[in-house]
Amino acid sequence: MKKLLLAVALLALGSCSEKSEVTEISVQRIFGECRANVPKGQPPLRNPDGECEIVTQILDDFEKRNPDIRLKVNIAPWPGYDQLSAQYAAGDPPDVVTMHMSVMPDFVSRGLIEPLDADFAKVGLDVNNFTPAARNGVTVKGHVYGMPFDNWTQLWHINMGLFQKAGLVRDGQPILPHSPDELLAQARQFKQATGLPYLLQPTDNERAAFTRNIYTYLLDQNAVFFPDNKHIRLDTPEARRIVELFRQIYAEGLMAPAQDYPAAMAAFLNGQGGICMVGTWMIGAFEAEANTPGRPLSAGYAVRPYPMLYGGKQTAYVDGHAWVMPRRERTPEQRAAVIRLMKFLQQRDYDWSRTGHLPTQADIARSPQYLGLPHRDGIVALATVGQTLPAGVERQIAIQDIIGDEMASAITGHKPVAQALKDAEHRVNDLLFHVL
Amino acid sequence: MSHASHKSLRNTLVLVTLIVLGFIMLIPLIWTVLLSLKANGELMRSTANAFHGPYTLENYIDILNNSSVFRWLMNSVIVSGLTTLGVLVLSSLAGYGFARLDFPGRDKLFLFVLFGLAIPEQAVIITRHQLFTALHLHNSYPGLILPGLAAPFGVFLMTQYFRAIPKELDEAALLDNASRFQVFWKVLLPLTLPAQATLGIFTFLASWNEYWWPLISATRSEMFTLTVGLAASQINFAQTSGLGYLMTQAVFAATPILVVYIIFQKYIVKAVSGAAAR
Repeated sequence: MKKLLLAVALLALGSCSEKSEVTEISVQRIFGECRANVPKGQPPLRNPDGECEIVTQILDDFEKRNPDIRLKVNIAPWPGYDQLSAQYAAGDPPDVVTMHMSVMPDFVSRGLIEPLDADFAKVGLDVNNFTPAARNGVTVKGHVYGMPFDNWTQLWHINMGLFQKAGLVRDGQPILPHSPDELLAQARQFKQATGLPYLLQPTDNERAAFTRNIYTYLLDQNAVFFPDNKHIRLDTPEARRIVELFRQIYAEGLMAPAQDYPAAMAAFLNGQGGICMVGTWMIGAFEAEANTPGRPLSAGYAVRPYPMLYGGKQTAYVDGHAWVMPRRERTPEQRAAVIRLMKFLQQRDYDWSRTGHLPTQADIARSPQYLGLPHRDGIVALATVGQTLPAGVERQIAIQDIIGDEMASAITGHKPVAQALKDAEHRVNDLLFHVL
Repeated sequence: MSHASHKSLRNTLVLVTLIVLGFIMLIPLIWTVLLSLKANGELMRSTANAFHGPYTLENYIDILNNSSVFRWLMNSVIVSGLTTLGVLVLSSLAGYGFARLDFPGRDKLFLFVLFGLAIPEQAVIITRHQLFTALHLHNSYPGLILPGLAAPFGVFLMTQYFRAIPKELDEAALLDNASRFQVFWKVLLPLTLPAQATLGIFTFLASWNEYWWPLISATRSEMFTLTVGLAASQINFAQTSGLGYLMTQAVFAATPILVVYIIFQKYIVKAVSGAAAR
């Protein structure tokens, strides 16, 4: 009996010590819930290139390969910052969380996320392998504050069938403009030949798209529109040139009017316009349509970075998702587990790049595996030449909304261009002035 | 035309008008249900595809296969149910007190309660969040239920309802040696049933649909209510790539509310018609 009791006690002790060897960390992410498509421990049953499916599978795989770490995954409603801010206020942020690169300065300036350079170096997570766009996106004041997951940007998604009809294809490649005049000429030629608008872009209930256009074309002109982190310069000839161009495009009916985001996407899928100006994330959906016989895009679909119109070198405004470590009390084991997860995420960069987003690791960006994915060879350069806003600029989402508001007013003719730019500049500077 | 046939024609016209208006009101609901029965890919091409087949239950199966959805459903039922119960109890007691009892400062206190109607939730959300942080109430049922119990509208409604009941009923019961509580419990409370039903359904509805407070108080997925959980389940750009799923979520979240409404419908109608008659 004594032996039995001893055995039971030893067994109990054994199970206790085994349990304590498992380190639990809380992981908070966006991208939705899709467990129905990805049963635990299995590859996705459907939509294998979807953001949700891929991230679910990566995190499952991490747990499988790291049995000493348990992930407590919390899925936050997009974009996740209301909930995250509330968690900070309650003193209970997660151990690791997804964050847009454009939002990171807000959290860095308040000391809410931790620099990771030393931790990365300790585990051999090579930050020199980050692509330039990714590295810039996660670096604030010289320190790396996150593990970059992707960069994304607006692209020109092109209906090659309609381009062919408009005589805008040469050697199988779309003919794209190199100046504002060429853009207008080609857009008019396209409309005359097809009766359709050259450009499709969300114009209603959408603030980000116009802002991203203006950022990219300001970069094209080498304009310094953030002379410092507290000021923007938009009441400039460079900005006027861009807005007046888009206003003319809109006024001439070369861009489809009154479309919100779903309407613009549906219009492109149904062959109702030549170019859809939307992000990297739509490549998969459009490519699937292109591969469906009988659909408007099946006559040909191409993807290109925004063509430079003002003589600058190829560039684009980019943002991206990163994984960051909120500042909070945690054990050394938990900290180590977070960094191991980040290293694992770095190693799964190819998987995530299947979403359409740009890779963040230079070796992946160069790899035949990545370049073999549809259209990636045409856009991969943006992982190098893409530019985020200066890392010290806070409130980038609010700034985007303000500029988007004013640009929409100007482009649709509700406000004079000069007034809209003046107002945008004033409103953004006022916002930045009041940032504590 | 005789008076009777004129009346009959008028009734028919009213009926037809009501049917047409009712149908117009139902169109968004029908559209939502049809959208929920379509594959997401088809809807991305055109939402007009909702008006013809093929239809699928795929989105409903996906929701049911979400391992957390029944937990969120249970959380919503617990939070909404207990909030409703609490509001009914507190509002009835307070309403009775304000309507029937004489105590120093009663009218001033009633006015103070009514001030609550004019204060939006946004004005107190930060202090409330800090208070609940200090009390370690986040990510808990009390954390989700307690804010909903402060219901100035409920107190106002019940006070007015109790005031409308003739005082002779109380007096007769008191003469029969009933205690104050017995008067409240056995005589007056049953008469307020229509008001209770109205208050109950409005409270349940508001609590069920509450998004902001659960979003910032219940930050762990096991404590999500259905509204927050379903929002978290949405993929990015769900309005384009996952519209069918989005609509299925709407149907799924609305169904319990519709059931509650149907069960209590006669009380609500009674309450409204009673108020009109008074």
